[in-house]
Amino acid sequence: MALAAPKAQLGFLGVVNLAGTGFVGGLLVTNQLGRPLEFQCTTPVKPNRTQEILYGPTLTSFVCAELIGKTLFERLQVKPQLIVSDHSEMLALRSVISLPVCLVLPKSSVAAEGTIRAGAHQLRWHADFPDDLALVTEIAKSFPGDADLIEPLERVREALQETLRAGAAA
Amino acid sequence: MSGEISRDQSQGLQPLGVRDEAPDITTSSSLLTLPAPGIHITGMNSALKRPPSVTAEAKTLLSAAGFVPSWRPSWGKVRTFGLTFPAGIELIPVAPQVPPTDEELSALKPVQPEKPKEETPEGGEGAKKRTKIKPPQDALSVQDRLFFLLQPPLENWLKGQELIMPFEPFQYQYEGIAWLFAQKAALLADEMGLGKTMQLITALRLLLRAGQVRRVLLVCPKPLIPNWQREFKTWAEEIPVTTVEGDGFRRNLTWRMPGAHVLLANYEVVVRDYQAMIQEAIKNGHNMKDGLGRRTEVECQTFIDGELSSSSPGLAQPEAPCPLPQFDLVVLDEAQRTKNRDSLTARTIRSIPRGRSVCLTGTPIENRPEEMSSLFEFMGVIPPGANPDLRQLTQLSREFILRRTKDLVMKDMPPRLDRDAIIELSTAQRIAYDAAEKEGVMKLNAMGDELSIQNVFELVLRLKQISNFDPHTQESSKLERLQADMEEIAASGGKAILFSQWTKTIDWLAERMQPYGCLVYHGGVPTAKREPILTKFKEDPDSHIILMSYGTGAVGLNLQFAGYVFLFDRWWNPAVEDQAINRAHRIGCKSQVIVSKFICKDTIEERIDRVLNEKREIFRSVLGEGDNTNASLSMSANEIFGLFSMKARTPKGSKSIRPAAPVKEAA
Repeated sequence: MALAAPKAQLGFLGVVNLAGTGFVGGLLVTNQLGRPLEFQCTTPVKPNRTQEILYGPTLTSFVCAELIGKTLFERLQVKPQLIVSDHSEMLALRSVISLPVCLVLPKSSVAAEGTIRAGAHQLRWHADFPDDLALVTEIAKSFPGDADLIEPLERVREALQETLRAGAAA
Repeated sequence: MSGEISRDQSQGLQPLGVRDEAPDITTSSSLLTLPAPGIHITGMNSALKRPPSVTAEAKTLLSAAGFVPSWRPSWGKVRTFGLTFPAGIELIPVAPQVPPTDEELSALKPVQPEKPKEETPEGGEGAKKRTKIKPPQDALSVQDRLFFLLQPPLENWLKGQELIMPFEPFQYQYEGIAWLFAQKAALLADEMGLGKTMQLITALRLLLRAGQVRRVLLVCPKPLIPNWQREFKTWAEEIPVTTVEGDGFRRNLTWRMPGAHVLLANYEVVVRDYQAMIQEAIKNGHNMKDGLGRRTEVECQTFIDGELSSSSPGLAQPEAPCPLPQFDLVVLDEAQRTKNRDSLTARTIRSIPRGRSVCLTGTPIENRPEEMSSLFEFMGVIPPGANPDLRQLTQLSREFILRRTKDLVMKDMPPRLDRDAIIELSTAQRIAYDAAEKEGVMKLNAMGDELSIQNVFELVLRLKQISNFDPHTQESSKLERLQADMEEIAASGGKAILFSQWTKTIDWLAERMQPYGCLVYHGGVPTAKREPILTKFKEDPDSHIILMSYGTGAVGLNLQFAGYVFLFDRWWNPAVEDQAINRAHRIGCKSQVIVSKFICKDTIEERIDRVLNEKREIFRSVLGEGDNTNASLSMSANEIFGLFSMKARTPKGSKSIRPAAPVKEAA
């Protein structure tokens, strides 16, 4: 990712759901140039059978956003100005933190209502927080046209795989 | 049987969980009229005639259900793990002031913004290759590995506005930069002309910004100082480079100057200044260790001239801060200069306190694979004084050496065409040559057991000089051939580089090459005048040839605009010749490079060439079978004696007799 001044700090939040292991989340904070500043990740979070039954279809959203996302955000020492994720369930994180949370859409996505162009991508913000539009717009202005907002999320996933490997080996 | 059940009794049918207050219960009696059963009355069943007595009594209900499942949405604490990244050095980007030259523009692809519409037909992201920094093998902790994995791909990092790259690196260069970034001990041994300098400088930029290094020492041969200054200006103008030069007082200040991120020094200055500082430290009672904190007996003995009282490894001394200037990274350019591990240069270089060690050389092995032991010791991958065998060296090479050849990575580079120019000596030269050889061999034979390798070597040199030109008549077949070739080259506007072993030959040729705008570049030319000479050769359309010595011109210069290279006489080691040729045949050359090796027929030159070619075929370096440019090809004493069908008188027949180093030029 190559972003221009003014200096901004972005959080890239990713989560993987591994069969038999559970959900593992990672939050990478970078500067406006994509250089890493801080990384936090969780150990696997695995819902039990009761939780699966009683949370039903809301389970993934709850685990990803309120359990993993919120915990990671609270652990950060370097606070970002915007959190980006490619996981639609993560939008629910916005309800529990006071920071805009956006869903980054693939490059092939076209502009639609509720989205804004940022770099090479469309960002969708939480519909219940219309005031976020102004904040996201301001931050998105600093992105050059070819900024790749998906790539840092790939780094997060790679790092999560590495920590799981290390945990399995330990 | 029929009957009535009072309303109160029916309360027992309330649904589960309904617990209300105790009801008021009233009881009443009523007569029941029962039909007489049609049963024959006997004494046994007379009780059936008695009316049943029905009474009601109150019964309390259950106060709670036996089992009520309850669940509160509580989750265990989510455990986290994290790391923060060190803050890097903020350097102010400098906008390029000078537009790149046509040669550079044509040679290197300018950086283009990534096309936004690079999707695959399936709608996926573009498949542009990304170079990720991989954790080194010695990074064992998760934190260390994550540090590398979470760095952005180099293409993105270098494309950013933080790092202005004048030209986009080739893919193999990206890989080299990523490798240098991750390695604490590295030997970048790319073949000459593949851009080791640019890879190192770019890796430095990233390391400085990632907070991995803050103070770097770059050691290079003295003639290459201007070259490094120029390359830093091209590739990393924002990094301030301080050259260690001037008198002792100024140099001392420079060594200890805070805020100098990159120091540039030549080998001689480093040896002189560090030796002085080491001696001073020992006088003050410091325990000297090598630059990686390892105590070595050899170092201690050397530094104090045999007096081990203050620095013997066995004596316990209180630890004190190292008095020598320390660096996060020390880079050795042309690192083969330290191949002799017992030399003062190698020992002094190893004493520099440092965190990382990087070597750059296109010829990690000039003579024997064992030469790499010295470089590995500097890099800290073998213990002091260790002598790894060939198998171990090969294993270490795989981990700590990165070497790419042009054949591997520059498939679309214009070819290098080598042609042996077999030349007949002129009549006068032949007479002079035969006489000198006959007289010389007779003298050698007459010396009997007194004969030494030096005597043979002197004869070889004399015969080679006559092959260049007859000192009495000034006749030279090589000159005639050169003039013929230069007429064509000059007529077509081309440029040529000529290499010779002797400055005397170069000066002799310079007079005769004046019609072609001849320039001279050798060790006798003052350093301050060398850059203008190179600039003139590059820019003056009437300057068609530059005459260089192997020692001064063979390393570090970028002359890719020259399409012709003449090896007027041959060096002892083809690795050095290759270095010379690669001044022209390197990244950026627009057309093929024609290399003419002048070899006089039926002379010592032909015999030497034959021996070296045979050795090239036989010798395989530890760097891989496909590496045909790095063979160890210096001639042994036996081979030199063999040039005159003689046998070595010394029991150490394999002793190399080639000149000590190409930088020491013959007069």
